[in-house]
Amino acid sequence: MLGYVLRRLLLLIPILFGLSLIVFLFVRALPGGPGIALLGERATAQDLQEIEENLGLDEPLPVQYGRYLKNLATGDLGTSVSTRRPVSEELSRRFPATFELAIAAMIFAIGLGIPLGYIAAKRYQGVLDNASLVMSLIGVSIPVFFLALLLKYVFAVKLGWLPSIGRINILIDLDHPTNFYVLDSILTANWEGLTDSLKHLILPAIALGTIPLAIIARITRAATLDVLSEDYVRTARAKGLDPSIIGRRHVLKNAMLPVVTVIGLQTGLLLTGAILTETVFAWPGLGTLILNAIRFRDYAVLQGGILFFAVLFVLMNLLVDISYAFLNPRIRYR
Amino acid sequence: MALLSVRDLEVKFKTRRATVHAVRGISFDLDAGQTLGIVGESGCGKSVSSLAMLGILAKNGRVAGGEVLFDGQDLLKLSDARLRAIRGKDVAMIFQDPMTSLNPVLKIGRQLTEVLTKHMAMDKDAAEKEAAELLGRVGIPRAADRLGDYPHQFSGGMRQRVMIAMAIACHPKVLIADEPTTALDVTIQAQILDLLKRLVEEERMGLILITHDLGVVAGICERTNVMYAGRFVETAPTPELFSRPRHPYTLGLLKSVPRLDAVRKEKLDPIGGVPPELTYVVPGCSFAPRCAYATDKSREVTPELRAIDTEGHLVACWNPVPDADLPSTPGPPAQPDDRWAAR
Amino acid sequence: MSITEAEAAQLAFERPSGLWRDAFERFVRNPAALVGVVLVLVFVLAAIFAPAVAPYEPREQVGVLARNPAGPGDGHIMGLDEQGRDQFSRIVFGLRLSLLVGVVSVLVGLSFGLVFGALAGYLGGRIDFALMRLMDLMLSIPGFLLAIGIVTLLGPGLFQIMFAVGLVQVPTFARLLRGSILGQKEGDYVLAARSVGVPGRRLLLVHILPNSIAPVIVQATLAMATAIIEVAALSFVGLGPQDPGLPELGKMLADNANRLQQSAHLVFFPGLAIVISTLGINLIGDGLREAIDPKLRT
Repeated sequence: MLGYVLRRLLLLIPILFGLSLIVFLFVRALPGGPGIALLGERATAQDLQEIEENLGLDEPLPVQYGRYLKNLATGDLGTSVSTRRPVSEELSRRFPATFELAIAAMIFAIGLGIPLGYIAAKRYQGVLDNASLVMSLIGVSIPVFFLALLLKYVFAVKLGWLPSIGRINILIDLDHPTNFYVLDSILTANWEGLTDSLKHLILPAIALGTIPLAIIARITRAATLDVLSEDYVRTARAKGLDPSIIGRRHVLKNAMLPVVTVIGLQTGLLLTGAILTETVFAWPGLGTLILNAIRFRDYAVLQGGILFFAVLFVLMNLLVDISYAFLNPRIRYR
Repeated sequence: MALLSVRDLEVKFKTRRATVHAVRGISFDLDAGQTLGIVGESGCGKSVSSLAMLGILAKNGRVAGGEVLFDGQDLLKLSDARLRAIRGKDVAMIFQDPMTSLNPVLKIGRQLTEVLTKHMAMDKDAAEKEAAELLGRVGIPRAADRLGDYPHQFSGGMRQRVMIAMAIACHPKVLIADEPTTALDVTIQAQILDLLKRLVEEERMGLILITHDLGVVAGICERTNVMYAGRFVETAPTPELFSRPRHPYTLGLLKSVPRLDAVRKEKLDPIGGVPPELTYVVPGCSFAPRCAYATDKSREVTPELRAIDTEGHLVACWNPVPDADLPSTPGPPAQPDDRWAAR
Repeated sequence: MSITEAEAAQLAFERPSGLWRDAFERFVRNPAALVGVVLVLVFVLAAIFAPAVAPYEPREQVGVLARNPAGPGDGHIMGLDEQGRDQFSRIVFGLRLSLLVGVVSVLVGLSFGLVFGALAGYLGGRIDFALMRLMDLMLSIPGFLLAIGIVTLLGPGLFQIMFAVGLVQVPTFARLLRGSILGQKEGDYVLAARSVGVPGRRLLLVHILPNSIAPVIVQATLAMATAIIEVAALSFVGLGPQDPGLPELGKMLADNANRLQQSAHLVFFPGLAIVISTLGINLIGDGLREAIDPKLRT
C-alpha cells in the first residue's frame, strides 16, 4: 500500500511541472503581451519596463520558465491589477469560502446520493427506482447556474425561507480564526453565527451538489445492481448470513469501488460549478474572484487562480485514487 | 429415515415473455454418509433445484410445488429467518466458479469466520483459530498465515478448497456441491473430488454432487440420478447406471464421452437436436424428439419412473434401451491416474 | 484477390451490419429513447424553420422598454424582455443557436480527438506515449477552467467558445477511440485478415474503425448535451458572444439573473429551453448506449 502511494506521489511531480508550464505559456500568450496583461492597461511605461526586467522577457524562454518556477516556489504569483494585493494573498483569503461550500455540497451529494442509489437498486423497477432515474436524467441536463437561480428564486425570493446572498448576515459579529464560518462559529461558541452561516450555506450547497448527487445516485444504482447479481453474493446468502451483513460487507463494499472513482471525477465538476454557483449567491469565494478577474481583465489573478484550481484538482484526484486503492485490495497487492 | 427427502419439487421462473418450468417434479432421498450424483446438461434444472431447496432462488423464481423434508421440517415452508439458521450450518452449498464465488474485497479469514460467528456463536479469536484449522483440513499449506490474504492471491484449486472449508465450517449434515470441479484443471479436479470424498467420510455428511461430467460421478457417487428437461429420467446405483443405461438419454450421454479405453477410430456419437425450451409443458416424454427409440406413446403419454433390472434402478421410459444396444465396454470410464491424486 | 482474402473481408463486414441492426431494434423499443428523439426532433424542426415558427424577429422591439417587463400573456406566450422583445421568438432562435453550437463543438472535439486516438491506438510506441501524456495534461485541468483559459487567449465571442468547448472534449474522444482500437487490434478477425495479407491502412479503415466507432457515437451524443451547457455557462460569465442582441440562451440567463424578483419569466424560460433540449439529447445518448451494449444497466 505504501508503495502504491509513493508511486502515485512520484507521478504527481511531472504533472505539476506540466501544469506550471501550461500556465507559464498561457501568460506569455495573453493578448497584449504578458507585461500589460499582468499590470493592466493603466500601467506606466516605467512599470512596464520594471516588469519586463523582472520577468526577463528578453531572455530565452527556458530561462524565463526557470524564474517563473523560482517565483512559484516562494509563493509569488504576482500582484492583482484590481486590488494591488499579492495574488497569493487574494487566493488564500477566498479559499476557505469555496472549500466550505464544496465540502457542504459533497456531503449533500454523497450523503443522499449513495443511499438513494442503493435503495433504488434493491427495489429494482420499483417506484423509487424509476423516480431516481428520472431525477438523475434531469440532474445531468440542467446547467448549475440555472438550478442555482431557480433555488434562489423559490426559496429566497418567493418563500423567503433562506437568505439569498452572502455567507452571513453582516450584522452578526463573528470571529474568524479559521475563516470557515461554520467551524468558526463552533469554535467560538457563537450559536447565532452558527445558525446564520448554516442558513446561508444551504442553498448554494444544494445548488452545487445536486448534479453530483444525480450522477452519484446513478452510478451507485448501477454498481449495486451489478454486484447483486455476482456469484459471491449468492455464496453469502448460501452461508445463511443476515441480510444487513450481506448488504454492508458484501454488496456495498464492492459497489463502492466504481462509486469512489466517480466521486473523484465529480471533484472537477464541483470546483468549476463553484465558479458559477458563487456568482448567483454572491458567495465571496475563489469562483467570484476568478469571474471578476475575467471581467476586469485581471490576468495576474486569473493565471494564479487557474493554477491553484488545477493543482487542487490534481491533489483531490490523488486522494481519490488512494482511497480507491485502500478499498480495492487487488490494486494494493501488485 | 432419510436425512433429506425431496418430494415432487417444482420450480418456475417468471420472465418477460413467458413462464419457464425449470423443475417439473423431482423426488429423491439422501442418507447420512451417502453421495448422490445429479447429472444433466446445462439448463436442465439441476442447479435450480438446489437453490430452491435452500431458498436462494433469483427474485423471479418461485417454488411451485412439492416438499423438502429435512430434520423433520419442510424447508419450503420455513420463513427466511429460520432458513438462514439452517443455510450454511446444517445444509451447505458450494458453487461452480471459485474465481467469482468469493468476495474479492474481503480477506479469506473474514469470509470463514463470519460463518462461524453467525452459526456457532464463536468469538473472534476462537473463530480465527478454527478458521486456520479448517484451511489446514482442506489442504491449504501455511493456513494461519493465509487467513489475511485476499481471494485473488489464491489459485483456482485453492479457492475451491477455501469454499469447501467455508461450507464444512459448521459441520453440516448435507453438502450440496454444484459443479465443483467444472472450472478447474483435470488434475486439480481429482484432488478436489478426493477431498470431498474424505470429508464425507469424516463428517458423515450427505453429499449431493451436481455435474454434467460423467467422469466425476463415476469417481465418487454411490448413486446417480440423470436429469433432463426438469425431470429425473433415470436413477440407479452408479456402477449399474454405467453398465446398464436403460434410458436412451443416459445411453446417449455415455456414448458421447470420449474414453481412454475405447476402440481407436471409433467416432464420438453426440445426441442430435437441442434440449427443449422449458417454457412449454407438453405431454409425452421431453426427450422423444431426439430419441432413436421413440414411439407414438412416447410422444403422447409422459412416462413415470419404474423399476427395471436390479434393485434401486428406476427409469422413466416406455421403450428402455434393449440389451443389444447397451455399451460394449461395461463399467465407468477410466479413472484419472491415482498417482496424481496423492499430490 | 484470392478466394480466402475475399472471404476474410466478407466475414469482417458481416460483423458490423449485424450489430447495427440489432442495436437499432433495441433502440426503437426503448420508450425513453423515443421520447428523446421526439423532443430533439421538435427542437431541430423549430430551429430549422425558426423564421416561420417565431412570431417576431429576435431583435425586433415590439413592446415598450420597461424595468419590469411583462410576463406571459397578451399575445406573447413567454412575455417580453426589458428591451421590449418577444421572448418566445428569442428563445426559438436561441435554440437554433444552441443546437448549432452543440454540433460544431462536438465536431471540433471529434476531429482532433479521433485523429489523435487513431494515431495513438494504431501506431503505439512513442507516438502513443507522447499523445496520451498530452491528453493527460489537458485532463488535469478541470474542463470549464480550461475552456476559460482558451477563450481568454482567443478573446470572447461565439466561435471562440465553440472552439474552446470542442477542444476540451478532445482528450475524452482520443482516449475512447484509442482504447477501442487497442481492444480491437488483438481481435481474432483482425488476426485472420492480417494472416491473409490485408494491408495496414485498409485494415484500419475497413475492419477496425467500424467496430470501434460505436462507443464514440454514444459519447459524441452525450458530448453534445454537455457542450450546449458549457457554452451557455461560458456565455453566462460573459465570455460568449458580445453582440447584445444575439439571443444566446446562456447570455439571456446572465442578463436577467439580477432581475429574479421582478421578471422571473426571463430566467425561467431560457433555462427551461436549455434543460429540455439537453434532456432530449441525453435520452437519445442513453438509448444509444443501451442499444449498443444492453448488458449495461446504468
